[in-house]
Amino acid sequence: MPPVINQDLCIGCGTCADICPMNVFEQEAPKMVPTVAYGEECWHCNACVLDCPKKAVSLRIPLNYMLLHVDAAQFKE
Amino acid sequence: MLTLKNTLETDVLVIGGGIGGLCAAISAAQGGAKVIVLEKANSRRSGSGATGNDHFTCYYPKAHGNDMAPILKELLDSMLGLCHDTRLSVRFLERSISIADKWHEWGINMKPFGDDYVFMGHAFPNRPRIFLKYDGHNQKQVLTAQAKKAGAVILNHHPVLDLLRNDEGITGALALDMSGKEPSYTVVRAKKVIIATGAASRLYPPAGTPGWLFNTAFCPSCTGAAQAQSWRIGAKLVNMELPNRHAGPKYFSRAGKSTWIGVYRYPDGKLLGPFVTKATREVGDITCDVWNSAYSDVLMNGRGPAYIDCTGTGPEDMKFMRAGMISEGLGALLDYMDDKGIDPSKHGVEFMQYEPHLIGRGLEIDINGETSVHGLYAAGDMVGNFRSDISGAAVWGWMEGEHAAANLESGSLVEAEKSEWAQERMAYYDSFLTRPSGAHWKEAALGLQQIMGDYAAAGPHRVRSETLLCAGLKYLADLRRNAEANVKAANAHELLRAVEAFELMDNGEVIMHAARERKESRGMHQRSDYTFTNPLLSDKFLTVRKENGNVITEWRQRWSA
Ligand SMILES: Cc1cc2nc3c(=O)[nH]c(=O)nc-3n(C[C@H](O)[C@H](O)[C@H](O)COP(=O)(O)OP(=O)(O)OC[C@H]3O[C@@H](n4cnc5c(N)ncnc54)[C@H](O)[C@@H]3O)c2cc1C
Ligand code: SF4
Ligand code: SF4
Repeated sequence: MPPVINQDLCIGCGTCADICPMNVFEQEAPKMVPTVAYGEECWHCNACVLDCPKKAVSLRIPLNYMLLHVDAAQFKE
Repeated sequence: MLTLKNTLETDVLVIGGGIGGLCAAISAAQGGAKVIVLEKANSRRSGSGATGNDHFTCYYPKAHGNDMAPILKELLDSMLGLCHDTRLSVRFLERSISIADKWHEWGINMKPFGDDYVFMGHAFPNRPRIFLKYDGHNQKQVLTAQAKKAGAVILNHHPVLDLLRNDEGITGALALDMSGKEPSYTVVRAKKVIIATGAASRLYPPAGTPGWLFNTAFCPSCTGAAQAQSWRIGAKLVNMELPNRHAGPKYFSRAGKSTWIGVYRYPDGKLLGPFVTKATREVGDITCDVWNSAYSDVLMNGRGPAYIDCTGTGPEDMKFMRAGMISEGLGALLDYMDDKGIDPSKHGVEFMQYEPHLIGRGLEIDINGETSVHGLYAAGDMVGNFRSDISGAAVWGWMEGEHAAANLESGSLVEAEKSEWAQERMAYYDSFLTRPSGAHWKEAALGLQQIMGDYAAAGPHRVRSETLLCAGLKYLADLRRNAEANVKAANAHELLRAVEAFELMDNGEVIMHAARERKESRGMHQRSDYTFTNPLLSDKFLTVRKENGNVITEWRQRWSA
């Protein structure tokens, strides 16, 4: 459900890689933009989004997690 | 090749820097003990409480009155109450509010609505409310800071692989140090060990999105480590065969369903349950806490699907719900809904039952939180004879830290890393890294889920039986043998995933042994060969342990208050 890092905003602080509970990111060296090495293992906990000091991370939720819903008007018919 | 780089010594070793582990670390350190925490990820954001929770079950005499009995009854009647030794429930309730006080003092907002605690949600109409509503969005950072302040040393990126013991009791643990570029082993020698590794996710095929192993309601890096590692050294596990299934939005798996304020409806608008016609922040629709299998039942009988409908919820309560979802760590879900234009004040959202996982099933603890292995304590989701989720982890963690620190003289430091078991396990894990080629961990993980789903299935509408369970045990042994001989880990990350798959296999094996022994149907443990519920077992718990390679199952009376 890979997190996506905005390369222009990221300052390579390494926070996302350090705090991700699933170890999704890998950072080759300090100051480098981490890579999303194991995107499929993301738990959508949102920690990387919340803790990135530059708001450089967003989550791309996979298509099939679609949160099924209907127009609630159907309940009143 | 993995080598033992670090051998450390401490009074109290805490395994898992989740809610229970951090509370244990703080109290043990405040009690004067030297404390090390070994955490798989980073305690600031790890585990099921990573980005927040919002309900803290507890007993508050000022709001509930001086008679604890009705509150105890409420706890035991709730979705948390199935597998409690009541003696432990009472001890928990007595101490619970004092831990909420501490959390508030440290900076977790336990009183977001004014000067006093407020109890809301998960409640039956006209019954006492036992869920303290709080704002836990920063709970992990706050507890981490407190643990450090108290003097505990937290080693992040140090998953524990095995517990170490001798004839007297616990002696320490073996961990994988993944904090640097080159992984290595760390052994911590300890007088007391408190294990708190959370739930066991990823045992069964994900009910919503098969193949997507990490779309789970609870943290998928909690993989039953405590149950597996304790089982290997002969500790007693309890209630492992009684399945638990969480529910929530479909196909976006996420715990925290009770933060939604709405009523459950059939597609034509008819209500699913009898409890309320309109939901408020004080009393939501508790139907699915009570009728746990509702979402599956209505699919199986064709009357579904079932939706949560928040359109009758007032605007103030809707705002309140959104704030609650943030406190609860549902930010990713909210972002997704905003992005896709899904608005709970306009849309009905389908709910589903997720796959079974272990919570409140696992290690048996005594009144001090100690397991059947001397000096080994257990706190939180992986305890088998008590369950109260966030507050259960916090309160028991705290009490165990206190007890361990006060009883250090009954433990001793030994050269745990030299034991045959430690040497054997180090060679074992190393083999996955050093073999030149082989199978991927995912093959082992998926294999386990297939077998669990087919041969140790949980209800509703699925059965277990002697023949299925025996076949399952055979197939699991085959899978394990093949996986042990073939899995290749390219790096520490893959090794960790492989370790988790083997931990889950241990959990699966224990579940199947225990399920064979429970010759009746109860809850979601449905036996086709014993279709009745046996009243003689109502006040009995089933324990399982391994002794000299043999599996021993024993029934015992539930411990009354
Ligand atoms: C979205 C969501 C909302 C929830 N809302 C509520 C709520 O409102 N109220 C409530 O009561 N409960 C709630 N829960 C449940 C609650 O979060 C858990 O019950 C609670 O976190 C349990 O604490 P714990 O210490 O047992 O486990 P966790 O907090 O999960 O901690 C386990 C820790 O162990 C670590 N670990 C695992 N394996 C190893 C290993 N081998 N070595 C070292 N470390 C390891 C993990 O990384 C983690 O840090 C919610 C859960 C989720 C997911
Ligand atoms: S959402 Fe959570 S699991 Fe996913 S990448 Fe971010 S921190 Fe990791
Ligand atoms: S936390 Fe943000 S800024 Fe820091 S490395 Fe990650 S993406 Fe870059």
